Amino acid sequence: MPVRVVESSAPSQVSGASSGNTLPQACSLLTVGQTFSGTQNVSSLQNEKDEAWRVNVCIQGCDLDHGYLCGTMEALNVPMADTPVVTFWEGEIVDGKNYTFFTGKWEATPEDDIRHWTKFPSFSPLLSRVEADGGKTLDLSSYQYIFMRWKEQYFVNVGEDCGLTIAGFYYVCFSCSDGSISGFYYDPKSSPFQKLELKATNAGRSGFSFSTYEFQ
Amino acid sequence: MPSASPSTSSGRPTDLVSRLSSSDRGVRLRALREVKNQIIGNRTKKLAYIKLGAVPAVAAVLADASDGPGPDETCNLLVQSAVALGSFACGVDAGVQAVVDAGALPQLRRLLSSPDEKVVDSGARSLKLIYQSKLAPKYDFLDHENLQFLLSLLNSKNENVTGLGASIITHSCQTSAEQRALYETGVVQKLVDLIGGSVSQRDASLESLTAIIKNNYEVTSKILEFENGRALNLINKFIIDKSPRTRLLACACLIAVRKTSSRYVEDMGLGLKLIHHLLELLEDPGQVGDEASFALSTLIEEKEDLQKLALEANAINKLCIHLQNGLSCPKRFQGILLALANICSKLEICRSKLLALQAFNLVSDALRHDCTDVRVAACICLRSLSRSVKNLSAGYFVNETVIIPLLQLLHDPSIAVQLAALGAISNIVVDFTKHNSNFIHCGGVKQLVELSMAMDPVVRSNSLWALKNLTFLADSKCKEVVLSELTASSLATLIHDPESVVQEQALALVRNLVDGCVDSIDYVFAENGVILDAMGRQLQCASKAEIGIQGMYALSNVASGSKVHKDAVMEQLFQHGGMNAQPFIMRFLHSNDNHLRTASVWVLLNLTTFCPGAAGRLQRLRNAGIISQLKSMVNDPCLDVKLRVRTTLGQCMNYGDSTI
Repeated sequence: MPVRVVESSAPSQVSGASSGNTLPQACSLLTVGQTFSGTQNVSSLQNEKDEAWRVNVCIQGCDLDHGYLCGTMEALNVPMADTPVVTFWEGEIVDGKNYTFFTGKWEATPEDDIRHWTKFPSFSPLLSRVEADGGKTLDLSSYQYIFMRWKEQYFVNVGEDCGLTIAGFYYVCFSCSDGSISGFYYDPKSSPFQKLELKATNAGRSGFSFSTYEFQ
Repeated sequence: MPSASPSTSSGRPTDLVSRLSSSDRGVRLRALREVKNQIIGNRTKKLAYIKLGAVPAVAAVLADASDGPGPDETCNLLVQSAVALGSFACGVDAGVQAVVDAGALPQLRRLLSSPDEKVVDSGARSLKLIYQSKLAPKYDFLDHENLQFLLSLLNSKNENVTGLGASIITHSCQTSAEQRALYETGVVQKLVDLIGGSVSQRDASLESLTAIIKNNYEVTSKILEFENGRALNLINKFIIDKSPRTRLLACACLIAVRKTSSRYVEDMGLGLKLIHHLLELLEDPGQVGDEASFALSTLIEEKEDLQKLALEANAINKLCIHLQNGLSCPKRFQGILLALANICSKLEICRSKLLALQAFNLVSDALRHDCTDVRVAACICLRSLSRSVKNLSAGYFVNETVIIPLLQLLHDPSIAVQLAALGAISNIVVDFTKHNSNFIHCGGVKQLVELSMAMDPVVRSNSLWALKNLTFLADSKCKEVVLSELTASSLATLIHDPESVVQEQALALVRNLVDGCVDSIDYVFAENGVILDAMGRQLQCASKAEIGIQGMYALSNVASGSKVHKDAVMEQLFQHGGMNAQPFIMRFLHSNDNHLRTASVWVLLNLTTFCPGAAGRLQRLRNAGIISQLKSMVNDPCLDVKLRVRTTLGQCMNYGDSTI
C-alpha cells in the first residue's frame, strides 16, 4: 500500500507550559567514530577551487545533554605545511539550553552570527525567532538540521609556530538526513565566509559502519 | 629476628597470663591490673598478649567475678576485667575478634544492670569500644527485646550508657526496616534530646541519627517534620560548633539528609556552606581532617551542581596543596584522592583545573603507594581525569608510568582493586593518539583477555569493556592482537555468557572489531563463522535492548561489506528460531527503544544499498513482511529512525518496488 510521506515542518516554538525535551535528538551519523571528508575554501570566492584544502573530520566525543561535541580536523594540502595539519576542536551544539545561536564570545557580534547563520538555507525558517531571542524558545527536537559552532583548541601534530592560525571558529550546519556538513569559518582577521563542505564517509564500504566506546 | 614481647615488672608475660587463672582472687586481680596497665595505648603489647591467650583468660575472670561473692573485690575484678577487655578491643581488630570469640559480650552487657555505678561505667565504656569496630556482631533491632534494651540504654542517666546505645545504632543500623523500627520505637526523639547533652552524647547522637536517616526517604521526611523542624535546626546549629568533631558529624548528618531529600538542603542553600565547612575541616591535623574529605566526596558524588560549587570554592586547589605537601597518613591520602575523583567526575572544567595544577604526576605516583586503599583511590581519580576526550587526545595517559602500575593492579587478588584498575584502563585505552601500541607492548591485551574469563561477571564485563574501548577506531594490528589472544571461539562463548552485561560488552567488542578497514569484517567468519553464528543466536533470544543495540550495530557493520558479507547477515536474520519464529529484526523494529530501532534500520539500509544481490535480498525481506513494517515507520517519532527508514525505502525503489 502506498504510504504518503509527511514532510517535517519547520521547528515550532516552545510553549510556556511545555516540559518536554526540546534539545536536538541523537543522530547516528553524528556519533563518536563518524568520519567526514570534503574541502575548505580558503578564499571567500567559491569558484576558486584551487584554493581549497582537503579536510577530514573525525567525531571523537559527543554529549548532547551538555551540548558538547569534539573531534579532530585534518587539513591535507596546506601549502605552508610539510605534513597534513591536525587540530583538535570542541563544538557547541545550539540547543537553546546549553547554547543559543548567539555566540557571545570569540569576537562574534549578534550581527556576525546572523550574517553567518543566514548563509545556511535550513536556517531561514528559524530567523525570526533567533532575531527575537537567540532561538531560546525554539523546539529543535525534530528538526533535521543541527547547528553548531566548532572551535579549534590546539594543534595535534605540529607546533603553534607552524604559520597557521586557529584563532577563529566555524559556524556549522549538520544534516541529520545524509550526514553532510556545511560550515563557514569566522575570524575577523581572515578572509570572510571560507566555506567548509563535508560528506559522511564510509571507508570504502558498501554502507555505513559504526564503532563505539564508553567512558567508565 | 627480634619481636615485640611484653615485659613486666612482676614476672614474664606467660606467667602473668597464667596468674589470671589463679584460684586466689587477689592474685587474679593483681595480674589483671598489671596486664591492663601494660596494654593501654600500646598496640604492640596488646597483640603480644592476644597471642598469649590473655583475652579468654580475662573474659573468664569477668565471668567468674560476676558469679562470685564479696562486694568490693568482686567490683574491682569486674571493673578491671571490663576495662582490660575494652582496651584489647580499642583500635585492634584482632582484639575485638578475640573478645567476641571469648564470649565476653553477654558478660559485659550484664554489667550494665549492676547497682554499682563504676561497674556500669566500665561495662558501657568497654562495649562502646567494641561497637566502634566493624568486627563487632550486628545488633538485631528487629528483635523486640533488643529494641527495648536499646531504649533502656538511651533512657539511662549514665552518659556512658546512653553513648553506648548511640554507638550500637551507628554500628548496626543498615537496612530501611531497621531504620523504620528505630524511628517507630521513639529512638529519634531520644537521640534529638541527647543532642542537647554533653559533648560525647551530642557527637554520638549526631552519628547515630545519620545512620537512621541514610537513604531512607520516609524516615528522613519524618525527622524533617519532627517538632516543626527542631531536629534539623539543632543539627544546623552544630555545623559551626567549637568542636571540629561535632562540626564534621553535623555536616555528615546534613549530607545524609541532602542525599535523601535534596529539596531541603537546596532550599536552605546549604550545599555551598557544607562545602566550605568541610574544606575548613580538612585543615584539621587529626582524624577529623582525615574524614572530612570522605564527607566531601559523599556530598558531591554524582552531583554536577555541587561539583561546580566545590570548584568555585577553590576545593581543587586546597586538596592539591595537601597532595603536594606529601601525605604520611594513608587514610587522608585516600580521602583526598577520592574527593578529587568526585569533583572531576563530570565536569571538564574541573579536570582542566586539576591538570593545570600539575597534580597528574602525584596521582599517577599514588598508583604505586604501599597502601592498597590509596592505590585504589588513585585508580578512581585517574578514571575521572581520563573521562575527557580532550585530555586523551592530548596523549596524557598512555605512557608507561601509568600503564605499568595499572596492569600490576590487575593481578591483585581483591576484586575491588581489579575493578578500580579496569575502570581507569577502560578510559585511557580509548585511543585518539594512536599510542595504543604502548599498552599492547606492556602485555595489556593478554591481561584483559585473562580477566575476561574471570569467575566474577563484573570483572568479565569490565575487561571486555576495556577491550571494546581499546578497539575503538583501532588499526588492524591492534585488532589482530586482541582476536588472536582472545580467540574466536572464546569470544563466541562470551557472547553467550550467562550474564547480560557480559553479552552486551562482548557484542560491542565485535562491533568495533568489524569496523574500519573492510577486511576486518572477515574476523567474524573465523573458525567457521562461530562469532557471527553466536551473534545471530544471541539476538534471537536477547531480552534486553542494550544487547540488541550492540548486536544490531555489529550486524550492520558486517552488512556494510561485500555481497558475501551481506548475504551472511541475511542468513543470520532468518536462520534462527525455527521455521515459524518471527525474525528477531521484526521484534526489534517494534521495540520502544529508539536506539534499537535505529540500529535495526541501519542493518536494513546496509543490506539494501546498491550492491550485487540487493534485489534478491530485498525480495526476501519483503516476503518476510519486513519492508511492510518499514513502510509503517516512515513517520516514526524518533527522527533518526524516520530518516533511515526513508533512505532505506528510497533505495528499495531503485529495485522496482513501486509501492513505496
